[in-house]
Amino acid sequence: MSDVSPMLLIGIGTAGAKIARGVSRAYGDDLRFTLADTDASTGEGGGDFTLLGGDRLSGRGSGGDIVAARLAAEDSVQSLDSRLEGVRLAVIATCLGGGTGGGATLEALRRLSSLGIPAIVFATTPFMFEGQDRQRNARGVMSMIEDAASATFFLPLDKLVAGEDNMESAMRRAIDTVAGGITLFWRLIEKPGYIKLDADRLRHLLSSAGRGRFSVVSTQGTNRASEAVEKLVESELLATASAPARAILCGVLAGEDLRLSELGIVADGVRNAFGDHASFALGTVNDEATFCGRLAVVVMVFESKSVDPEDQPEPGAPNGGRRRRRSAKGGSSLGVGPSGRGRFNNAEPTIWHGEDLDIPTFIRHGINLDF
Amino acid sequence: MSSIHAALEIGTTRTVLAIGEAQSGGRFKVTCHAEIPSSGIRKSQILSIPDATQSVRSVLREIERRQDAAGAKVTIGNAMLAVSGQHILATHADGQAIVDSGKVGDSEMQEAARRLREIPIPKGRELLDIVDQDYVLDNLGGITSPRGMSGKVLKLNALQIHADANRLQDARSAAEGAHLEIREPVFAATCAADAVLEDHERRNGALVLDLGGGSTGYAVYSDGYLLSAGVIGVGGDHVTNDIAHAFQTTNAQAERLKLDEASAMLGQYSPETARVHVSGFSALMDSRTISRRSLDTVVNARFKELFTVVRETLEEQDLFHRLHSGIVLTGGGAGMREIDALAGQELGMNVRIGRPIHVDGLENEKESWKYSAVAGALLYAHANFEEKSILDGIFGRFFK
Repeated sequence: MSDVSPMLLIGIGTAGAKIARGVSRAYGDDLRFTLADTDASTGEGGGDFTLLGGDRLSGRGSGGDIVAARLAAEDSVQSLDSRLEGVRLAVIATCLGGGTGGGATLEALRRLSSLGIPAIVFATTPFMFEGQDRQRNARGVMSMIEDAASATFFLPLDKLVAGEDNMESAMRRAIDTVAGGITLFWRLIEKPGYIKLDADRLRHLLSSAGRGRFSVVSTQGTNRASEAVEKLVESELLATASAPARAILCGVLAGEDLRLSELGIVADGVRNAFGDHASFALGTVNDEATFCGRLAVVVMVFESKSVDPEDQPEPGAPNGGRRRRRSAKGGSSLGVGPSGRGRFNNAEPTIWHGEDLDIPTFIRHGINLDF
Repeated sequence: MSSIHAALEIGTTRTVLAIGEAQSGGRFKVTCHAEIPSSGIRKSQILSIPDATQSVRSVLREIERRQDAAGAKVTIGNAMLAVSGQHILATHADGQAIVDSGKVGDSEMQEAARRLREIPIPKGRELLDIVDQDYVLDNLGGITSPRGMSGKVLKLNALQIHADANRLQDARSAAEGAHLEIREPVFAATCAADAVLEDHERRNGALVLDLGGGSTGYAVYSDGYLLSAGVIGVGGDHVTNDIAHAFQTTNAQAERLKLDEASAMLGQYSPETARVHVSGFSALMDSRTISRRSLDTVVNARFKELFTVVRETLEEQDLFHRLHSGIVLTGGGAGMREIDALAGQELGMNVRIGRPIHVDGLENEKESWKYSAVAGALLYAHANFEEKSILDGIFGRFFK
């Protein structure tokens, strides 16, 4: 049997490449990774590199133009094929807001999909102060990435590095944080400890996971398990849920001093905090050299991809409240499906601030109707 | 000899065809127009070319029938095509020229225009229009006529309006299936603006919203030229879909409720206790009534949201404050009861319904706002193809 990892990390764009290199440094030589960018200078930092759209953009980058980046990636994306032999799961790291992160990621996802390789995307979204153009660039591709990827984690930079004042150190810290999270995820899957994540369950969970939230915390001391749960509950990155949690993936990384009771505290705490009815998968990594005396917990919460509007709570009503009244007649035979997209089911969606405007406004705004 | 032109719009809910003729004195007159319900279109995009072709064939037949009744027969060989849909984008471009002599002359203005027109558009896109804006001489912008001015670098700003080439080809295929050649595709929203905007509105700043069935086109004018344009992928069909979902009706019933009963505002037309009759759509389903207030609530929520999207779209471009003459609503959706009042309330400025004022022949048409885009497309043809006529199409014939 081959020792080559079935997982490939792809860093797209300048910042995506930095994240991938960060993971490589932390994980070691075993990491299988490749980099792709429209800017030739990204390749100078080392690692396997593909220049996207060299003929089109002359290696000077996309200049923030998503369309140009997407066309550049379309020109070159097949050159990724040689790196994809034996790959069963691809993980893409990128930053949205410029051109290449969004445009090239979409093309890479399309190529991976055509080869039947599931892909998980970790993508940062711009700081608010970066301006509306970059925010709009990011918003414009998020839903498309979400549609094309098996699972997505959109990580707002404002939340990743809250409180950081210096721009350069904020970006460095953001990249380190994302790289750290991916490294722990990688270890969880490739170097499991006493509790292994069931491979079939994990594949099933990740193959159609949809949008997820993701956070990593690290603690030490006698109460490290409880403190880890507290930090996760307070984490800005796990705070915004637009739909109930469908599944939770929890990884506990520690040295040889990991106690069973600590696992129990973390597992119960995470389940209670983020969805006690959600499917729950737990795994551990034992790495004395890295985690001696420390505990790191990585949590991924996957939301339901679409919520039946009939089951959405009334605005202001606690605990789900009264259900909106169903009509006694008609139903789906009248051509309006449960999502409410109705005649727009197969049409290109209109997405605005992350909302699908094809779904009736009164449903999305939780407006109660008397019949 | 007068020139005759035709314009087609394959819309989400209606396929419209109009023909017209240049008049003495420079005016243009719509001599015949017809519309039939569309099929095979969703959100301004063709999903079934045979269905769309059938719509074009039917509207051609209707025009010919009306011409026959008027004692003249025109078999239309080609037409302008007014297009909409959220695949249409307007992006800024500029062409520059070095002013060697230090004083701008015709050669520099031509050079800037030539360079502007050499700028490629992205692969897979087709150019609908390049709309010149202002000149910038060194750092001085907003210049309309730089001839004779002193400076070093002249720049001509413009908007490139382009669309997905495949979507345009689908529309061409649908028309050609009905033996109608497309002379040139043009953007429906700017065409509508050309038909409905007063000159002073263009100068003082105005927004034209072309409220279509599948999408809403917008065009922003100030200082006499087009500042921005685009399409929001929400239209009257969304209102119909919302009603169908809320009250579990067929789309046809929902469309009827929207057109005949609903109001965009919650007010005098929607008292708490009023009921609206919904007739059964088959022998198996009884007639019933629904709350008028709820019907208006569904419609009001959708249009309020649309206007919010419009406001934020323009605010992001720093254009909202430039609309000193207010907003002009046109297109089929402008016929929605109290839509102008709601737009005024939500956007906080003067709103009027835009009828085609720069063409003749539609004065007696009660809902003439529905024909703004084709009227504008006819004006475009009149201005750009004066020497040609609809005879030039592949199957064109003209009888008198």
